[in-house]
Amino acid sequence: MATRPSFATLPTEILQAIFQHLPPPSLMSVSRTSKSIKTIADAPVIWRQYCLTHFKSWSAHHNIESKFAGPLSDVDWRALFISRINTEKDTRRLLGKVLESQQGRIRYINDIAEFGYDAKETLLAECACPDDVEDVLARRYYANAVLERIQREMAIHVWRDISRGKDFPLEKALAAFDIFTRPGADVDFDIITQDLDHLANSILREYPNFKDLNTRNKAFTLASFMRSQGFKGVPDSSYRSLRNSFIGLALRSPNHESLPLISAGIYCSLASRLGLDARPCGYLYHVYVLVYAPPNHTLDGEYKPSSSSHLAYMYVDPFKSSEEASEAALRTVLREMGVPSSEHSTFMSDTSTREMALRTARNIMNSVQADRQAGNGIHSSWLNAVPDMDNAFYSALWAMMMLGPSEDGGLSNTSTRRRAYLPYLLEHFQTHYPWDVTLLEQHIIPLFYSQPEGQRLLTFVHSMHTLDSTRKPVKYRTEREKGVKFKVGQLFKHRRYNYEGVITGWDTHCDAGEEWIQHMGVDTLSRGREQSFYHVLVCDKSIRYVAEENISPLSNSSTSDSPIHPSEAMLHLAGRHFKRWDSDKCLFVSNVRDEYPDD
Amino acid sequence: MATSTEAPKTVTLTTSDNADIQVEREVAERSILIKNLLEDLGGDSNEAIPIPNVNEAVMKKVLEWCEQHRKDPPASQDDDSDSRKKSTDIDEWDQKFMQVDQEMLFEIILAANYLDIKALLDVGCKTVANMIKGKSPDEIRKTFNIQNDFTPEEEDQIRRENEWAEDR
Repeated sequence: MATRPSFATLPTEILQAIFQHLPPPSLMSVSRTSKSIKTIADAPVIWRQYCLTHFKSWSAHHNIESKFAGPLSDVDWRALFISRINTEKDTRRLLGKVLESQQGRIRYINDIAEFGYDAKETLLAECACPDDVEDVLARRYYANAVLERIQREMAIHVWRDISRGKDFPLEKALAAFDIFTRPGADVDFDIITQDLDHLANSILREYPNFKDLNTRNKAFTLASFMRSQGFKGVPDSSYRSLRNSFIGLALRSPNHESLPLISAGIYCSLASRLGLDARPCGYLYHVYVLVYAPPNHTLDGEYKPSSSSHLAYMYVDPFKSSEEASEAALRTVLREMGVPSSEHSTFMSDTSTREMALRTARNIMNSVQADRQAGNGIHSSWLNAVPDMDNAFYSALWAMMMLGPSEDGGLSNTSTRRRAYLPYLLEHFQTHYPWDVTLLEQHIIPLFYSQPEGQRLLTFVHSMHTLDSTRKPVKYRTEREKGVKFKVGQLFKHRRYNYEGVITGWDTHCDAGEEWIQHMGVDTLSRGREQSFYHVLVCDKSIRYVAEENISPLSNSSTSDSPIHPSEAMLHLAGRHFKRWDSDKCLFVSNVRDEYPDD
Repeated sequence: MATSTEAPKTVTLTTSDNADIQVEREVAERSILIKNLLEDLGGDSNEAIPIPNVNEAVMKKVLEWCEQHRKDPPASQDDDSDSRKKSTDIDEWDQKFMQVDQEMLFEIILAANYLDIKALLDVGCKTVANMIKGKSPDEIRKTFNIQNDFTPEEEDQIRRENEWAEDR
């Protein structure tokens, strides 16, 4: 008669299968029960499984895909898993520091950013923390800010490597704008790659003999497939819409709106997966695709030996149609636009990945500028805009900086243009992303070493670090400050401009420079420059300085039934300075008590 | 091809304690081992199939599960999506089914492993995992009657090694 089975006598592989279902602390407990069980619980297969099930995002330096694909014994999976758990803890701890005080905030944000994508899931979880968390607004704000900071760095690295001559697939250069601009679980280089892989596979499923077609038919089949999937460019009415410049959005959105450049980018990326040689062609105001036949073959697949390296080619415009675009017509248009024929080849030949990224940056700038001209007044429409306009503009500036503006060539020209972009970049940086200071140090300052800006930037960066590491000067409320009527956290409407804002700081009198005072006509205010002035955060993301007489506080009044509630936009922004909204007191709860302890 | 009027095909299984169990072929084929055996024997053999590693009581229990899950879709080849899930959720019927004494539970797991019934093996492993979850080493030892063969020094050492897993 066989012995009766017991836990300890179960075969090793079954115990391992059981252990794989345990959360780590339980595995630790079970491994402490006996020696033989500990040996089984230490098996790499379990820890590999833990790595696979617990973490979706991995920092690039792990090379995780090749680790998972490689032999089990090549990796110390237990150590790897434990290091990831520790990173998770460190991320939470450092985020706690970020939220705790303004002092060292930039440093701690950058400390988390060092973890790269290893911190992504933890940060996403914090972005989604429940409404009743004590510092919900601040937590969500800064978790998102750090994640954005991490994604920006990844995009910047791609552009930097391209400018150094490294070869990247076109989609990666374009996807970098998505990564830079849109934080989130569904935005990732890998996801954009997968979307393209998926599309390429559907073509092969629909046309199993695709690989046997001749070049002309491949080009046509691919273009008509894209149209059948809804990739039909974008109508004139929404041509300038910002979203059209983002390949990740074009792939995921229901109507796949895209500019010609992105259509061409998707076409070429799919072509490279399908063994078709297609390259973007940077025409005037439009991007076409140049499709090449293999060496010694015609577009119709006939063998035609040739001594030159010249390849047979054709033009396609996937933005507009699935038909071949006529070369003669393209040349006619160039002539009509007054382009001398000696320069036609510039617009008719294939263009580099770098050039495509630069054109995307210019397209983004144009869209943002058009939007800014159209939109007037102070409003919070940015909240529902995808992608965010400030992020997008900032991405374009960075891409320009990293890739070097290239039209007209010439080194001096490049540096002139870089110098022209610098003030815009610095303005965005200071207003929205001061924690990018390390990115500035690593990537922007070296570009200006030989320029007068170089030294100024170094000083500026140094002072930012000093400021970050020093305790903010404390502003108590004593007898002297009694005149300051409103508190930090007060929600208000501007009396004259009617915008919504929140007070983030105050001065007993106007503390701006004389020039600003003159320019803004402060002395013409009824209470002049000696009244209290407030630093405020406005629903359109701007930071302003407002005289007390213009502040109309929003408070629950006995006359009105409906309680005051800040707008969604304000709730998003407030996290930078506040923990949460207190609906009873009708105030944002301050997270800057280190600076304003009595407010 | 079987038509609806025809009686469902059955097979006979002979267990380790020499009991013959008749069961519908579709039910028995939840076991990949039996399915392969039947295919190897070719079509319409009426021979009883010996299952020398499983006794009658356990076999009946296993077949009860197979009967309940006869229409389940076969396990997907794409293991990836499965393995990325870490849930120990078990559906209600299976939970009830697994409310047996420990010995029977382990017998079922061993039988599922031997008969190659992946879904049942999974349910069994999850059930045991759920019995471990949230317990201290001592409680686990008591639950499964495990002999502690660590010296106090070794225990200390392991506790230190495992500190990373605490207060998450």
